[in-house]
Amino acid sequence: MYPSQPRFSRHILKALSLILLVVWSVAVLYPLIWTGLGALKDNSQFMLGKPWAFPRSPWLWSNFSNVWNQYHFGQYFINSIVVTAISSLLAILLSATTAYVLARFPFRGSQILYYFYLSAMMIPMILGLIPLFFLLNDLNLINKLSGLIIVYTAWALPFSIFVMVSFFKTLPKELEEAAYIDGAGYYRTFFDVMLPLARSGLISIGIMNALNTWNEYIMGMVFVNDPVKYTIPVGIAVMQAEMQYRTEWGPLFAGLLMSMLPVIIVYMLFQRHIVAGVTAGAVK
Amino acid sequence: MKKQTKLFVVMTLTLSLILSIAGCSGTDSSSSKKKSNGLTANGLAGDFEIQYFVGGYGDAWWKDTIEQFQKLHPDLTIKQSAGPKINDQMKPRWIQGNPPDVVYIDGSGSNPRQMMDDHQLLDVTDWIKDAKNIDGEKLIDLMITEPEVYSGKTYTIPLVFGAYGNFYDQAFFDKNGWSVPQDYSSFLALSEKIKAAGISPYIHPGVYPEYIHGGFLFPAIISANGDHGEILKEMGDLKAGIFKSEPVMKALNQLSEISKLGYIDQASPAINHTDSQMLFLQHKAAFIPNGLWLESEMKNDTPADFKFGYIPSLTQSKGGKLIAIPYSTTLAIAKKAKNPEAAKAFIQFVFKKKNALNWAEKTGALMNVKTDLDSSEASPVAKTAMKFYNSDHTLVAPVVVFNSDVEKVMKDATIALTVGKIKPEEWAERVEAAAAKARK
Amino acid sequence: MFHIAKRERFIITFLIPTFIFFSVFTLYPIVRGMHISLFDWSGSSEFMTYVGVQNFVDMLHDPIVWTAIKNDYSLVLGKVIGIMILATFFAVAITRFRLRGTGFFRMIFFMPNIISAVVIGVLWRFIYNPNIGFLNAILSLFTKQPIRTPWLGQEDTALWSILWPSIWAGVGFYFLLLMAAILSVPTSLYEAAEIDGATQSRQFWSITVPLIWEQMKISILHIVMTTLNGSFVMVWIMTEGGPDNSTQVMGSYLYQMGFRQYHMGYASAIGVLILFMSLITTLIFQRLLRRDEVQLS
Repeated sequence: MYPSQPRFSRHILKALSLILLVVWSVAVLYPLIWTGLGALKDNSQFMLGKPWAFPRSPWLWSNFSNVWNQYHFGQYFINSIVVTAISSLLAILLSATTAYVLARFPFRGSQILYYFYLSAMMIPMILGLIPLFFLLNDLNLINKLSGLIIVYTAWALPFSIFVMVSFFKTLPKELEEAAYIDGAGYYRTFFDVMLPLARSGLISIGIMNALNTWNEYIMGMVFVNDPVKYTIPVGIAVMQAEMQYRTEWGPLFAGLLMSMLPVIIVYMLFQRHIVAGVTAGAVK
Repeated sequence: MKKQTKLFVVMTLTLSLILSIAGCSGTDSSSSKKKSNGLTANGLAGDFEIQYFVGGYGDAWWKDTIEQFQKLHPDLTIKQSAGPKINDQMKPRWIQGNPPDVVYIDGSGSNPRQMMDDHQLLDVTDWIKDAKNIDGEKLIDLMITEPEVYSGKTYTIPLVFGAYGNFYDQAFFDKNGWSVPQDYSSFLALSEKIKAAGISPYIHPGVYPEYIHGGFLFPAIISANGDHGEILKEMGDLKAGIFKSEPVMKALNQLSEISKLGYIDQASPAINHTDSQMLFLQHKAAFIPNGLWLESEMKNDTPADFKFGYIPSLTQSKGGKLIAIPYSTTLAIAKKAKNPEAAKAFIQFVFKKKNALNWAEKTGALMNVKTDLDSSEASPVAKTAMKFYNSDHTLVAPVVVFNSDVEKVMKDATIALTVGKIKPEEWAERVEAAAAKARK
Repeated sequence: MFHIAKRERFIITFLIPTFIFFSVFTLYPIVRGMHISLFDWSGSSEFMTYVGVQNFVDMLHDPIVWTAIKNDYSLVLGKVIGIMILATFFAVAITRFRLRGTGFFRMIFFMPNIISAVVIGVLWRFIYNPNIGFLNAILSLFTKQPIRTPWLGQEDTALWSILWPSIWAGVGFYFLLLMAAILSVPTSLYEAAEIDGATQSRQFWSITVPLIWEQMKISILHIVMTTLNGSFVMVWIMTEGGPDNSTQVMGSYLYQMGFRQYHMGYASAIGVLILFMSLITTLIFQRLLRRDEVQLS
């Protein structure tokens, strides 16, 4: 190989990469933009066969107000936020404690417990759907956000424990030992030393669990059937089903957009933190 | 308190707290609702729950009717469990034996046959014989189609009467000089012309094969059976060999033929009913198999010059009768209804002529009550359809409910047939096998 | 140092609440679900009949089960290959070529991950819609005749049409993981390689891949698991397993049998099969990937 070739091919590679990155960005953004365009159209414009066309004026902002008035989107958001926030926090608390013990306090059976949680990651949750319904019903948790919170927390545990065990294992033992020598007990060591050290890992599983919970649909639909307690995915699914019977494409697009936009805005504002959070847990 | 015990307490408390908060709020709502059923000075009392699916017919009629019923019984606490996903959402409550009182069985996720098999519905055989509506008319006498009898018993009461058929735009046909085909061979001839004009002769929602079953395949089977509708009943009863019988094969060959000739719109297998209906309204296709609800379902998107035309079937041979495949959705009382008296009273209230007219006006479709629609604001299609059903030249087939396994296999096979993936023989084999399995 | 008892008490206080919570709300329903697989139960009746392993025997003779397994693994393979190639490529391109606009790309690529699968399914159904979707409209720009391919309605395109949005929605997350992994590789290694005149591809195979192998492994396993357990939401929303069961996956078939055709016992048996498939597949993947890891490091 000639020495000049790497540099030359490097430029080509670089240009090619840039093109592909741009193409992918368009592939990601365009469907979202298309949703935005569709949200301002009426049915006849959908039928024109020019999906990329700009909505004809007057733009149908009424599509948005229709959806807003017919469906309790504000309420769905509040529900989703409450459910997501509380269950993510609970999952952090419950998984970090177990993970810490599994990572640092081997006992007879600790390996078994670890693999027990690990294999639970592969459980298809739909298998437990109906029994879970009866359980929640017996506990008076059907049709309640608290029921959803509990279920989502439980389902987030295996993955969180898995990530946190490997995270705790990477933390240096010296700090703990220093804490013990200073006379701190197990509990203080955990809460005052280890948890702060594991912060990035905790944030990371927190974000991942939050994303999963935020987007969960099946359990949300089966365990809650009171429209004021719907989470966003359930609200969207119901809206989609209803609009299908009425051929209201514009309002449907408006609804899709309304469900996405706030999340996208929050994401853009906190993008750096979220990106850092997602990666911190897994890359150590 | 020592720190570790405190932590332990805090952690377990967090959990039990959520459980108990939920528990508390749950108990007080159920205890306050303990009112006794029965009659008071103001009519019926107690709790009364109605489950109804909201689809193409909307919920205006329901809200209206329930409101009037409420006025009649002010002490009754009526709960409406309704929506397009209501069947999935209410299912766990049926399993648990805590169903609503009255259920309107319609939409995806519902199957009256299954509910009967699961012993969920109240046997109303004796009651329905003499039940009168509040105007003093016997319900049975009012109905267009009678309640289905399953193993000698009646569980469901047909509320909506409709029929499948084939729709076209009369104005568009006139403009092109096309005349509506009265038999299969003229349908083929016309299709060739339509296709030459760059339009698809036939479009159907492949996501819901019941449309092409009701508008094409089933009428074809009956025509091939010498205009005897019993064959459909035999199919519903899963008689051995019936799906391989000659009439069925002949009908399958007709379906396969129009598929091979390219008369079925290419988009069909991927689209749902509203998509196919939009394309039909845009004149991308000439015929569409559909139900009587079509006109009201699409009223916001129908071009001003569009004139709905309806013909029950297109597959009959020359001189054969037109075949209409009826469609009915039913009301039933839950076997475990907590307030069966109110449930019966509600059904008696519903089946009166005034409500039937209101149904026709609100939904454009027909309620299962013989009424004179001409004076009503029912859609023109509903009125023409009514005339077809009253004519001697039209055979209205019996209402048949299929076993859900067999129906699924049949639907899948039909779509496979319309795209040329399988041959009629394979369709017959598949469905026959499914029927054999279901008979076990 | 500490009392043994103290240590044990600590272990117990930290393990038990989680364990109880998990057992009650995950383990118990799953075990009940597995139990149901031994019954003939419609799923809507109050009554069930014990049938032993009959449901599992039936499953062996059910051609749709086999189609579903095949589709599941097609999706797993398609997603692993598609996502890993794209995610790795983007991660390498952005970190190694020090392109401008890194922050921009990073922000955009992750966006589909914050959108619910329901919304993505609905959205892509419209994109594929033969008449109002933009895919056909864009393709029609390059052809004389307008294209009206029913992507989700033809057996030969339907599954691929579901695969693509899954890749679309998944790339961002794994891209972030791999990018962070590459950034944690000491730059001195690359500098040394540059001086030795190693080509980009050499650098990639002999530095990047071995050093981020752990993250690649985690990514692959994660894709495998989430696909086997979660792909059914997309399938259900986009095709409900059709046409003619050609896009059925185990999860959607479970839903179809349990909630549409009233065989909850059989559906539970499918669920048990999914569980075992996931376990075995994950183990196999772990094995395969572990060997490579040893070789490279």
